[in-house]
Amino acid sequence: MITGIAEYISTHTMQLLGQIATHTGISLFALLVAAVIGIPCGYLASRSEKAELIVSAPFEMLRVVPSLAFLILLIPVMGTGLAPTIVALTVLAVPPILLNTIVGFRTVPDFMIESAMGIGMTDKEILHKVRIPAAMPMILAGVRTALVEVFASTTLAAKIGAGGLGEIIFTGLGLNRTDLLVLGGVLTAVLSLAAGGVFDALSRRIMKYKYV
Amino acid sequence: MKNYRRLFAVIIAAVMALSLAACGGSDTTSGGDKSVIVGSKDFTENEIIAEIYALALEDSGFTVERKMNIAGSVVHTSITSGEIDIYPEYTGTGLISILQKEALTDQDEVYNTVKDEYDKQFSITWLDYAEANDGQGLFVAKRASDEYGITTISDLQANADKLRFASQGEFDERDDGIPGLTKVYGPFNWKSSKIYDNGLKWEVVDSDEADVAPAYTTEARLTETDKFVLLEDDKHMWPPYNLAPIVRNEVLEQYPEIAEVLNAVSATLDTETVTQLNAKVDIDGEEYEDVALEYWESIK
Repeated sequence: MITGIAEYISTHTMQLLGQIATHTGISLFALLVAAVIGIPCGYLASRSEKAELIVSAPFEMLRVVPSLAFLILLIPVMGTGLAPTIVALTVLAVPPILLNTIVGFRTVPDFMIESAMGIGMTDKEILHKVRIPAAMPMILAGVRTALVEVFASTTLAAKIGAGGLGEIIFTGLGLNRTDLLVLGGVLTAVLSLAAGGVFDALSRRIMKYKYV
Repeated sequence: MKNYRRLFAVIIAAVMALSLAACGGSDTTSGGDKSVIVGSKDFTENEIIAEIYALALEDSGFTVERKMNIAGSVVHTSITSGEIDIYPEYTGTGLISILQKEALTDQDEVYNTVKDEYDKQFSITWLDYAEANDGQGLFVAKRASDEYGITTISDLQANADKLRFASQGEFDERDDGIPGLTKVYGPFNWKSSKIYDNGLKWEVVDSDEADVAPAYTTEARLTETDKFVLLEDDKHMWPPYNLAPIVRNEVLEQYPEIAEVLNAVSATLDTETVTQLNAKVDIDGEEYEDVALEYWESIK
């Protein structure tokens, strides 16, 4: 099996690199879209129970639909390729980011805000210098959870012609070739771990105000 | 004491019921003078064809027991062990999957090879093969076929750089996929090549997101000839998968008239006919029994 994998890698090098690049690109883009939607919505939702219900209920409902079913359901509306893939992955990634953002902002300790008010900060300053930095660890933890889910689910993109490492996995399934299944699976896992590692390193830099 | 007696009564009743059932069972299988068991594999086309065989045999006075929907990997064992007497098989499947021989591309050569080997190895006879061929194929969108004049795979190869290919992944790697085509027809430099789920190929080509995709030659959607064009394998790259009834020799010696009845059915089955039968079940949602009956009424 090892020789099978080695041979496949040597004969399909360019194709593999392309698949890794596509896989990473799709995953990161979906994650970015999810963060752009999830973090502001989470901040708004953290300010009242009613807002939380309005914002999080639709995403919670959408999350129940399996990603594969979602992809196929989107085809009549959006066709195949990149667009429906990004939508399906974004729907998957928003809930963890959204929920963690809500909890992050809700659990900023009162004494911090009182102290900030005490030294005469304006509301805007409190948001930028106290609330956001204090909520950041929870928000980043949410993004981290979403990242792992998205990298794994991007394999489904190969079902609708958007490329990525799923191509190797589905080819292996069709040919009943274990070496391709292992190669595709391991590459996806390694890519996900590597992305997680890079993300952790970046997080440590961002979280200079970390309150423990 | 009373309890023992009751237990006894129950046991005796159970034994009697079982032996009665056993007698009943053997009664039904031996009922009728001429009886055969027709089997089929576990997909639409094979079930329809098997049902047509069964109807044809019933009309010539046989009592037919049906054992449909047998998994493709088990059906050969079923016939060699005598659990079924007849089922529709494909010449290419017999050659490559069962006999594990090198692929040949000439219809008669494949048929004669499987006919000889099955007779020798398994005491099974291949009756006449139908023209219907459920083999590997490629189809293009009608618009591309019209625009570039593509009707054969040679035409396709010449125009590959203008066409988008929709694969299911495995076709790019399989020996009888793109690598084999490249050897026989030359390189296919597609404008683009993407991988889609096999079930989506029709939608993808229909909605103009791709122009070419692999398919089996009797797939139901190929009946939509205003949208899809099946290409001719003009250099005979793929082995033929002609449909033919195969029968255990023991049964055929007992009832030689089976050959005539089933050969008459095979003579009517060409690729287009079988594709249309598939479409009635897979697209129109009819039951395969009804489709088979309707067809048998039309040819008998």
